[in-house]
Amino acid sequence: MAYEIKEEKGKDGRKVYRIDRDHLVELMNDLKKEGYDHLTLISAVDFRDRIEVVYHLEKSSDNFSMLVVKTETKDNHMPSVASLWESANWDEREQYDMMGVIFDGHPDLRRILLPEGWNGYPLRKDYDMSKVQYVNMDEEGNDYVSFDPGDGW
Amino acid sequence: MESNLTNRYIELNMGPQHPSTHGVLRLKLTLDGETVKKVEPVIGYLHRNAEKICELDFYCDALIYFDRMDYVGAMNMELGYLEAAEKLLNIEPPERVKWIRVIMAELNRIASHLVWAGAFGLDLGMLTPFFYVFEEREKILNLFTEITGSRQETNYMSIGGVYQDFNDKIIFKIKEFLSEFPKKLDEVYNLFVKNDIFISRTKNIGILEPEVALSYGVTGPMLRASGIPYDVRKDEPYLVYDKINFTVPISKKKDVLARFIVRFEEMRQSVKIIQQALDKLPDGPFFNPKAKKSLMIRLRGEGDVYARTESTKGEFGVYIVGDGSVKPYRVHVRSPAFKNLSVLPYLSRDVLIADMVAISGSIDLVFGEVDR
Repeated sequence: MAYEIKEEKGKDGRKVYRIDRDHLVELMNDLKKEGYDHLTLISAVDFRDRIEVVYHLEKSSDNFSMLVVKTETKDNHMPSVASLWESANWDEREQYDMMGVIFDGHPDLRRILLPEGWNGYPLRKDYDMSKVQYVNMDEEGNDYVSFDPGDGW
Repeated sequence: MESNLTNRYIELNMGPQHPSTHGVLRLKLTLDGETVKKVEPVIGYLHRNAEKICELDFYCDALIYFDRMDYVGAMNMELGYLEAAEKLLNIEPPERVKWIRVIMAELNRIASHLVWAGAFGLDLGMLTPFFYVFEEREKILNLFTEITGSRQETNYMSIGGVYQDFNDKIIFKIKEFLSEFPKKLDEVYNLFVKNDIFISRTKNIGILEPEVALSYGVTGPMLRASGIPYDVRKDEPYLVYDKINFTVPISKKKDVLARFIVRFEEMRQSVKIIQQALDKLPDGPFFNPKAKKSLMIRLRGEGDVYARTESTKGEFGVYIVGDGSVKPYRVHVRSPAFKNLSVLPYLSRDVLIADMVAISGSIDLVFGEVDR
């Protein structure tokens, strides 16, 4: 293997692999070949100086036993794994929407829960919640986001 | 206005107020006549960012936002959060609480599947079964009112315990309900499957191959209807499910009808589970003294925990990160309905609009959970 994995045990007793970002796709490829065919969840955690991205994988041939892969990024960029598992598509879009992680190589990286054009990423620790944003409709019927309440409100 | 007659494909918006979209799902359809060429689900109309709100509250307060995710199966949502939070905070619920939680979760599973059956019937144009299933569901909600004081968003479970203990009267009432329910369930079941129109609208529609289902992250009754017996209650037993005897219903047919049959069989299994749990219900306290009310806001958690439970829609996972303070640092929810919805564009390529409604109905969508 060309990469190095740090293996640890999580608090919930699950096996955790820690890997650096550059070798993530390589590792994921190998894991998929090993039989991890169910990508359950992609989470991102904002630790202010870095964002940790956590992948939970399940192996269907082994009673859906779980493996956790952790990696981190300092410049908000991550390689996408959407080509390996279809479920990564919406998961990565959600993390992009909420946490601002940019998944390079994602086929369709758009916001999924919030409207397009929203300012900021709500789950970041430095997100300013005191500023209210409004979704209004322009004359052609398209939504746009602004800090100005407009007529509709 | 420009004429659209020369275009082969028509773009159509279905929802967010369309009755068959279960709340606030909006589907952008590209149609060729009556055939669906492309579907793009647009979600987020019910988005409240419960995950962020959880970060601002104490561990015990975050619970009520989980009630409001899947409001049809609220007990299972509470359970999912508590499985993670209790692991993180190192609090073990007493034995009696575990059994009570199993009973409540399974009662709610029945109620949720009943609502689904009724709404699914409505999608296909059957009004009658709706009233039958809601009559049964109402009985469960009446039980909930008596036990918890509330019908849907019960906020019944809490860290290390439950809000109120079962007494003999409640146990008698649940047993009374269970003795009549299977007969009523068969009646409803026959209302569906003895209807030729229902069969012809669901059989061989929306076939989901197991490999595709796994790749899309589909779980719950949808995955089991594709022939994969994945049930967290069996594969990674939580609470006391390993002491209970039940089977996981699966079907090899993979279509919409299979999902219907799997859900009804699941309800019969739930009845079996509750009966066993009522028989085995041990005596003891109904909360852990380490988590009584005055101490609860001082609970601190450190590390990260992922706990999965089998909610009514599939694998419900909660990932909590604690930084040693009294509030969770990050809460992330794996919503099964969100994942199951992502397979809709794949399933509805080149099907009729009416079939697409049947397929989206078979997913069992609750938008509080998809949008969170």
